[in-house]
Amino acid sequence: MPTLRWQSLTTLLLSVYGLGASIYLTITHFEPKALACVHSATFNCEKVTQSPQSEIVGIPVAMLGLAFFVPMIALCLPVAWRSAQRWVHLARLALSVTGIGMIIYLISAELFVIKAICLWCSSVHIATLALFIIIATATPIVLAPGYGDVDAVPAYSEQS
Amino acid sequence: MASNQKSPGTGGNTPKPKPTGGGGAESAKDRSRAASRSVAGAASKGGKPGGKPAAAGAGGSRTGLYVAWGAVALVVVVVAALFIVKATSSSTQDLSYTPVTPAPAQVVHDVTTIPTSTWNKVGVSDTSVSKPTVLSGQPAMTIDGKSPAMLYYGAEYCPYCAAERWAMAAALARFGTWSNLQITASSHTDVDAATHTFSFHGATLDSPYLTFKAVEQYTNVPVAGTPGEYTTLQNPTKEEGQILAKYSSSKYLPNGSSNGSISFPFVDINNALLFSGASYDPQILAGLSWTDISGSLSDPTNPVLTTGNYMSAGICQATHGQPGSVCTSSGVQAAAKALGISAS
Repeated sequence: MPTLRWQSLTTLLLSVYGLGASIYLTITHFEPKALACVHSATFNCEKVTQSPQSEIVGIPVAMLGLAFFVPMIALCLPVAWRSAQRWVHLARLALSVTGIGMIIYLISAELFVIKAICLWCSSVHIATLALFIIIATATPIVLAPGYGDVDAVPAYSEQS
Repeated sequence: MASNQKSPGTGGNTPKPKPTGGGGAESAKDRSRAASRSVAGAASKGGKPGGKPAAAGAGGSRTGLYVAWGAVALVVVVVAALFIVKATSSSTQDLSYTPVTPAPAQVVHDVTTIPTSTWNKVGVSDTSVSKPTVLSGQPAMTIDGKSPAMLYYGAEYCPYCAAERWAMAAALARFGTWSNLQITASSHTDVDAATHTFSFHGATLDSPYLTFKAVEQYTNVPVAGTPGEYTTLQNPTKEEGQILAKYSSSKYLPNGSSNGSISFPFVDINNALLFSGASYDPQILAGLSWTDISGSLSDPTNPVLTTGNYMSAGICQATHGQPGSVCTSSGVQAAAKALGISAS
């Protein structure tokens, strides 16, 4: 039986990091002076976090990050990865797809509209991208027939 | 589950023997799992016991993996494409800049005639303004044989210099009369891009109390082919260079360098008060025109005024309290007190 232990732990750690960074960015969205970041022509966290693109319909993007990572942490707990409930795995996948769509938009905004890169934001983007890669490739495994059944050996694991 | 096992000899795979002694019959545990695991159950539907459903499930999961890796590759390609497009477009260097032109009379008037009452109202009330470094026991600055003196070292492209010049122009106007003040803006591509400001290149301050020298090392005109570099405008004289090298070092300046490099802007008031970097965040000037900024100098919340009071206190210390109308004003006295120096 394939084990998804490292995927479970890695996604959980990435989600916890993402939540922490989102909390920090939410605080600094309202208190820009609390922001500690590299300040140069290319990297400028304050310019990004105070830009018009830092809010979507009045909601700070950093708060949307909170709304993303809180359920993601729940869905990446080991017990969730072991869940026999199909919807748990589909929800995790759907959330990660939503996240990747969001970061593609945000990276575009940073590169072409704001013209500055926020390192803190980039670290969250990398965490979200890594989450997507792991979840997208692990979900077919956990949804495969026989996954989690100690007696069964999924055929794909036996193929040479 | 037993139904997911392949029959021996049907696919080259090595099936694991069912551990139960039931000869392939489902145990109660297996049936329970089949009922609770809809995913696995769905894959088994309609399959013949012994192997076919497993083959279908394997094909499904393999297809799923292909789709998943395809999606991952697509995302990685999209993200990489964004950076490649950005890098490619950045190779078309932005060579735009704001030319240096004579300052409008209204701007000069606003900056050089700030009422004493406004200076006094502000004092040093803006706590976001960085305090300068106070030195003691240093010889008074002499430039061109004249003392006391004040030396500014910056560049027209530098956004922090852009912010600092507003305070310098306003403070120095209390001690003399400006001539040939010009306006420009910082780099269009650096941080706090195109912050509107003066250029001190060619400007002179006629003062009976103080000699003011300004060195704008670089213009704001980008050098084609080398992003981040600007054409040279003016080099310090040997005398100025010695002052800059000495007092910008980490020996005198907490954030000074130990390798001889000097950060813009650097302001030395008679070797007794040092300003390194912007005293306030240039961001507050973002998007404001020259007249917007000069018009806002009557606003007591403007950090330009607190910075200007610190500079005025330093100049008053250098001039031994001259002129009295400036140096005894409550705003300057408040700044002197905050710095622990004597302005009279």
